Amino acid sequence: MTADPPAAIATQEKEIRLDNIILLKALWPFIRPYAWMLGLTTLLVFVVTFFELLMPLLTQKAFDGFILPTGPESFAILAGIKITSFTNFCLIFAGITCAAFVIDFCQSLFMEYTGQKIILGLRCELFAHMTGLPVSYYDKNSSGRLVSRVAGDIENMNEMFTSVLVFIFKDLVLMAGILGVMFFINSQMAVTLFLVVPFIIVSVLAFSKLLRNAFRTIRQKIAEINHSFSEGIIGIKIIQTIPSKEQFMKRFARLNQEHFSAAMFQIKIFAMFMPFIGFLGVTSIAVILWTGSFAIMDQTLSLGELIAFLSYMKLFFRPLRDLSEKFNLLQNALSSAERIILVLQQPKARERITRTRSPLRTIDRIEFENIDFSYTPKEPVLKQINFSLEKGKSIGIVGQTGSGKSSIINLLTGFYRPDAGRILINHIAHDSMDITDIRSRTALVMQDPFLFSGTIRENITPRQESHKDSRLESALEKADCTFLSEKFAGLDTLIREGGNPLSSGEKQLVCIARAFAFDPDLIIFDEATSYMDSQSEQRVHGAMKKLMQGRLSIIIAHRLSTIRDCDQILLLRDGRIREKGSHRELIDLNGEYHHLLKKEMI
Amino acid sequence: MLLKLILPYFKRNWLKILAGLLCMILVDGAQLIVPQIIKTAVDSLSTAQLDRSLLVRQCLFIVGLGLGMAILRYGWRILLMGSARDVEKGIRDDLFRHVLELDMAFFDRTKTGDIMAHATSDITHVRMAFGFGLMVLVDTVLLGGTTIAIMIWTDPKLTALAMIPMPFLVWFTRRLGHKMHAFHRTAQESFSQLTEQIRESFFGIRVIKVFNFEQTIGQKIDQASTDYFWKNLKRAFVGAMLKPLLALFFNLSTLIIIFYGGFLVMEQRLTPGELVAFLQYMGVLAWPIIAIGWMTNLFQRGMASLKRLNKLLDAVPSVRSPDLAARPPTLAGRIRFDRAGFSHDHQTPVLSNITMDILPGTRVGVTGPPGSGKTSLVHLIPRLYNLDAGQLFIDDHEISTLDPDLLRAHVAFMPQESFLFSGTLKENILMGRTIEPEKLNRIIQTCDLTATIDAMPQGLETIVGERGVTLSGGQKQRVAMARTLIVDKQIILLDDPISQLDTQTAHTILEQLKCTNPNATFIIISHRLSALAACDWIYILDKGVIAAQGRHEDLIGTNKFYTDSFQVQQFEEAHDS
Repeated sequence: MTADPPAAIATQEKEIRLDNIILLKALWPFIRPYAWMLGLTTLLVFVVTFFELLMPLLTQKAFDGFILPTGPESFAILAGIKITSFTNFCLIFAGITCAAFVIDFCQSLFMEYTGQKIILGLRCELFAHMTGLPVSYYDKNSSGRLVSRVAGDIENMNEMFTSVLVFIFKDLVLMAGILGVMFFINSQMAVTLFLVVPFIIVSVLAFSKLLRNAFRTIRQKIAEINHSFSEGIIGIKIIQTIPSKEQFMKRFARLNQEHFSAAMFQIKIFAMFMPFIGFLGVTSIAVILWTGSFAIMDQTLSLGELIAFLSYMKLFFRPLRDLSEKFNLLQNALSSAERIILVLQQPKARERITRTRSPLRTIDRIEFENIDFSYTPKEPVLKQINFSLEKGKSIGIVGQTGSGKSSIINLLTGFYRPDAGRILINHIAHDSMDITDIRSRTALVMQDPFLFSGTIRENITPRQESHKDSRLESALEKADCTFLSEKFAGLDTLIREGGNPLSSGEKQLVCIARAFAFDPDLIIFDEATSYMDSQSEQRVHGAMKKLMQGRLSIIIAHRLSTIRDCDQILLLRDGRIREKGSHRELIDLNGEYHHLLKKEMI
Repeated sequence: MLLKLILPYFKRNWLKILAGLLCMILVDGAQLIVPQIIKTAVDSLSTAQLDRSLLVRQCLFIVGLGLGMAILRYGWRILLMGSARDVEKGIRDDLFRHVLELDMAFFDRTKTGDIMAHATSDITHVRMAFGFGLMVLVDTVLLGGTTIAIMIWTDPKLTALAMIPMPFLVWFTRRLGHKMHAFHRTAQESFSQLTEQIRESFFGIRVIKVFNFEQTIGQKIDQASTDYFWKNLKRAFVGAMLKPLLALFFNLSTLIIIFYGGFLVMEQRLTPGELVAFLQYMGVLAWPIIAIGWMTNLFQRGMASLKRLNKLLDAVPSVRSPDLAARPPTLAGRIRFDRAGFSHDHQTPVLSNITMDILPGTRVGVTGPPGSGKTSLVHLIPRLYNLDAGQLFIDDHEISTLDPDLLRAHVAFMPQESFLFSGTLKENILMGRTIEPEKLNRIIQTCDLTATIDAMPQGLETIVGERGVTLSGGQKQRVAMARTLIVDKQIILLDDPISQLDTQTAHTILEQLKCTNPNATFIIISHRLSALAACDWIYILDKGVIAAQGRHEDLIGTNKFYTDSFQVQQFEEAHDS
């Protein structure tokens, strides 16, 4: 648990506006499969409310029918049946109470189930949609932000289905029901009590707005405090050796004080609102007593009805506090929904071509023909790139950071498309092919070895093929991964988040084993050994060499030793190929490559 | 004692707490008067009498009472909840100060996440227990006790019968509350796992796409989401049970009052007003009774959190200033290890039998394979850790006789990870020290930061770190170096300072360092042997011992590790420039 990512703090909460609600329409396709469940819960809400409204009414009937009978005979009429025994009446009362419990429980649970089910579906759909988005989308958006779409924002939506529908809807139905029943019992008294409603509406709205700001500030401040705290721990060596403890303490105390002030503001808001609602409640008791007394004298109200009024008013004030908090949750949920919809509306990457021509069986030849490329218009990254590569050969690409090395890979793997020129695979234009076909014949080994959490087996098994352990084990063996069976549990070694318990060299070897297992035609090494110590590097190099045999390989490196043995070396500077040839040829050329080489001989 | 942590803050706020409690007690009292008024009103109505003037007085009294209650409620909320927040603030400040003073060995044993949990949830639990919990306790005892007393006074048997469902209710709230908390936690854990898997998938999107892992990953996320779904549903099950259950027990109590109380009224042993008041009191009782179960959970959690916090605050740093610390005004910068040994757990040695004598003004390089103890070696010099065996002298002072803060005032140390705090570049370099601008400019130049800073939107005032501009590894390293060198110190320790810099820049920076600090003692750890070539002496560590030492020229050809590494690097380095 560390501090919240900054994205979570910057989340703006929006007012409920009509267009936000219209946005929900975009979510309808995801909700539709569960519509009957939503319908059923809504129905149950009405049943629950009915039972809740029944309780004070039964009390009234007990008073007026039996305890203080308004006529000479003791009886009560329930659903058209006349009950003359008080004991029987109470038994029925008890039965209704139990039934109310069961229905209330079922309704709450079913609502939760429905909400969670919708959320589950939505989350999986959203994730699937996102993995289909082009890589450029991932490059443009910070991964923290993307994660919070699938995690946090979906979670907020969950609030919408549970809190908002359960509480706001349920509470509003209940409050409306109370007003209705009161009107039915005694319209004149009910109208007098209705006078309190505008005060309630105004105060709830004002309160929810203030509260939202208060909560937001508190959340922000807490996030800052946590951030500062974790920074203090991570940077402890620096803080203690500088030493600058006092300065950090001061900064922390200031944040803490700000948080305190924000919390006090929130306390004040509650301290105004809650007593105010309480005051309205007490005043309404006085109003009921006042108007009720006269009504009883006029014989237009029974004592039981007066008592029912008192109970209803109590019931009426109960959900008010929650209501304003739930309004804020609704606003949160709506802005989350908006962000989710924005992602869902992102077009997926154009990867599959529907009208398949001849399917690609093997890659025998790759050719870049006058390729120009830029990430943002007018800032060219690659200019006039020409090269070709055949089976069994290798190309090494060197150049400074920003010279465009990685962009060549981005084009070849179809993550991006060139602005001009053609990429030919087996003499066929790249963009008329199914990119997944090309990718399924390609393996990529990157600078940060990427293994997802799970077993080694899961990490290196190609999707299309049956799990044959013998094949996977031979892949591990070829990639010098014997340490897996020596130190760990072989194929069943469980990789945790961040690749633990493997070291980065070991992770890279597993990545190479994955490439072996996939048996690709084309292998791309993108700075595969750059963060490694010399010994791990040599092991990885050994495995790389084995993997390269009989395939097409492209090696990007900033260390010359890695690419020395390549059949062809491209030296890139400012997006152009400056020198091209074998190690020997480039030395004879006596140009930039030779210059670099000479410097390292010093 | 367990409460020593919060007692000072209670003392600081005692007047507020007392006044707050007084307000609360008055509100509780006022709350009990209302049903009494309803009682008299109902009784007079049931006999079909209406005393207008009495009714006017009663209604006005209720409204007045309501107003008074509102004001008092405002009072106790501000006073009591404010005090609770003040306690929270105090504990948090204490905790942070304490954490900053702990030694490195503590941070090695303790996960950052755990300390963060103390700072967040534990402090919240303590606030809830001793702020809210205490309020609820007083409220429950006073309001609940008085209400029950009034009920008993009205009719003991009716009270006893009405109370039958209550123990069940308390038991259920406690149990469900407990369960809810546990389920909430498992759901939370499942959620963080899900989040981590999502994060990891987005991070590796390129690999996923190239290897067509989309479906595999999709299935994994589906699984994790489903796991979260069920765990969440479990929590929801308990949550959905709680409110209807409370309503059930209350309705049953109400029913008992109506049934038995009704008989009593029919037999004229109880007035209708008393029965109505009884029902009203039952309503008043709802909160204190629900609160009992809730409060015990709150206190349990609060006490557990307090214990954890106390344990953390009781952790004493093992690196402390001795009582009679030597306070030499200046240090020449001689560093002498005498058969020094070090281990993290007092069992597996990280360093053993290290003997070095580094004279003032010399430049010493340290290299060796990963895990050979290089970093631990330099950690000993600013006394981030204590030695396990042997001795370490700074000048002629045995290191444990020196005040660590004073020692560190003479030592500049650049750790391996170049960490930037969120703040401006300038703040990151100065770290609260006052430095004249010319000096700052000079260091910026020495560390080759001029171009970097000029390219920043706000120059030196640009906010960096997690919430600002992201710097590259090399840029971070140079900023960290500037931070280390901005104050002239006698001993300069650089742990892998140039790993992210290109050869040329690294070379220039290291050369300039020698010129600007001619008298300082340097220890530089690096894998890049060309960077160490200019050192006066080079140590090669392997598995915690000095495997070889000598000058660059001596080591080439005589030491296998050094020679091999140097040859490999020869090919690599030149290209970076």
